[in-house]
Amino acid sequence: MTESQLFSQFLSGVSRGMILFFISSGLTLIFGVMNILNFAHASFWLVGAYFTWTFWKILYSPIFGLWISIPLAALTMAGIGWILEVVLIRRVYNRTLSEQLLLTYALVLIIGDVIKLTWGVEDRIVARPQGMEGFIDILGAPFPTYYIFVITLGGFVAWGLWWLLQKTKFGRTVRAAVFSREMVGALGIPVHRIYTGVFALSLFIAGLAGGVQAPISSITLGMDMSIIVECFAVVVIGGFGSLPGALVGSLIVGLVYSFAILVVPKMALVLIFVVTAIVLIVRPWGLFGTPMRA
Amino acid sequence: MIKLGVLRTYYGWLALALAASIVLPLVVGVFWVHVLIEILIMGLFATSFNLLFGYMGQLSFGQAAYYGIGAYTTALMITKASIPLPLCMMASVLMAGICALIFGYFCVRLTGIYFAILTMAFGQLVFYIIFQWYGFTGGDNGIQGIPAPPLLQNVYVYYYFTLLLVIAALIVMWFITNSPFGYTMRAIRDNSDRTRFIGINIRKYMLVNFVISGMFAGLSGSLWAPFNRSIAPDLANWAHSGIPVFMAVIGGPLGFFGPLVGSVVYTFLSAFVTGFTEYWPIVIGVIIIFIVLFLPGGILGTLQQKTHPVETNNPNNKKKETR
Repeated sequence: MTESQLFSQFLSGVSRGMILFFISSGLTLIFGVMNILNFAHASFWLVGAYFTWTFWKILYSPIFGLWISIPLAALTMAGIGWILEVVLIRRVYNRTLSEQLLLTYALVLIIGDVIKLTWGVEDRIVARPQGMEGFIDILGAPFPTYYIFVITLGGFVAWGLWWLLQKTKFGRTVRAAVFSREMVGALGIPVHRIYTGVFALSLFIAGLAGGVQAPISSITLGMDMSIIVECFAVVVIGGFGSLPGALVGSLIVGLVYSFAILVVPKMALVLIFVVTAIVLIVRPWGLFGTPMRA
Repeated sequence: MIKLGVLRTYYGWLALALAASIVLPLVVGVFWVHVLIEILIMGLFATSFNLLFGYMGQLSFGQAAYYGIGAYTTALMITKASIPLPLCMMASVLMAGICALIFGYFCVRLTGIYFAILTMAFGQLVFYIIFQWYGFTGGDNGIQGIPAPPLLQNVYVYYYFTLLLVIAALIVMWFITNSPFGYTMRAIRDNSDRTRFIGINIRKYMLVNFVISGMFAGLSGSLWAPFNRSIAPDLANWAHSGIPVFMAVIGGPLGFFGPLVGSVVYTFLSAFVTGFTEYWPIVIGVIIIFIVLFLPGGILGTLQQKTHPVETNNPNNKKKETR
């Protein structure tokens, strides 16, 4: 194992972590603001990937196809999120934890079948855009060019979210609503609209992630079921409701996976859940979180 | 709450259910006998889950791990060593209990969402170990051709064998939930701080309950393996952990028989719907959303409130406390 191989393994761990970050940032945002653990978040990610495939197929342009399809898919998901929050999610804010979990788990089942009905059961493949099909040389080892784009976009989304939450009026209102929903409402701010906005934003990022995922591997049914538990691991490790936590947690899970697969390939996924269990036992609120609703 | 009073209101229904469970397999076709066996096994699984959910107030999302351990223990002992089924079942219960003891030791330190996720993490741990250990468990190929003992090869015989075991297990669980131990569990569910203040070691009680629940889940898994003749690692996956949750919520988690009713409804519907469409998940998904939104107490809970509108100390009706 040379240094350059290790470095490219490191980079592929980071890019895997970025996909996890896209999904878990929305997951942790929804949890932090609305106190709902959204089982269906990875399912929305998968729907985003399928939408990207559809738009990409329609546009049929090797150069611009993907670059237009990804934002289109993300916007579609934001729209779906908006409607879903108003119609369904809003009704369970005051319910117990188990009822909320069940509702979002029911969504997982429904979305899985809706995907089957809409896009069929065969795998869908999106080609990497022109100029990004190949590999570039990093310290003498080949590394997929597309992954560079994934990592860059991940960094950009992390920065964008930070900026949105820290520097804008919307972000300040959201943070205030996390702190005290009643007070924000008393100041005449329509809290429910803030909630709808956060839900739509989270689904926008999930859609974006789906679009970014589409050319990485073929899009298959059931991808959401396996990645959601990894995202739970991320959120647990980073701390519920913490965005920096989601970023660090994603990188940890991505890196643990990509290095474990070199050393003990069969134990890679087991190891992630061992880490998760240890964090939960030692520090249930995660690395960046604060003790919350027990 | 009254011990016998609750049972007495059910007496008629219990007798009817018992009569139906004895007569029904003789009048319906072989396909439906298979469904009935599944109802019994899953009903036992859901009832074991409900020891944690309904009586302890904690949502476990990793119950399939113990079910899977039970199923794999029996399957491996039969296929690799041809050990008689009763011994396999005892070993399954024991294995599930030991694993529940190890995992539960950590799980009972947490509550609420953390409990749910830690049980799920341990569940996925078991799932991936089974999934990857090709040499021992067959990996994602699972184990095929698990023979039932000659005596139980006939599906009708297997049905009555399952019925007998499930009824015995239910009676044991009924006594557990109505013992002082069961009432301590309810006390922990309703207010763990006050329960601690009267000098009860709540972690110890929760751990014992966790192990009991895991053992019965193991028993149901061990009944499943020779019935289905083949098993796959999916039995231990988190998606499979969702099924007892669904059953408990459909039937109503606050009554002892809720999960059983849920199993009847879920399994019957599943068999019926999959008869003409593969889109069963969307059907059950819509049903679950409907129940969560409009029947928060489940079928039994709603019926009970209609017929006996007594005040029930229902934690699921309580508004969620805001932080």
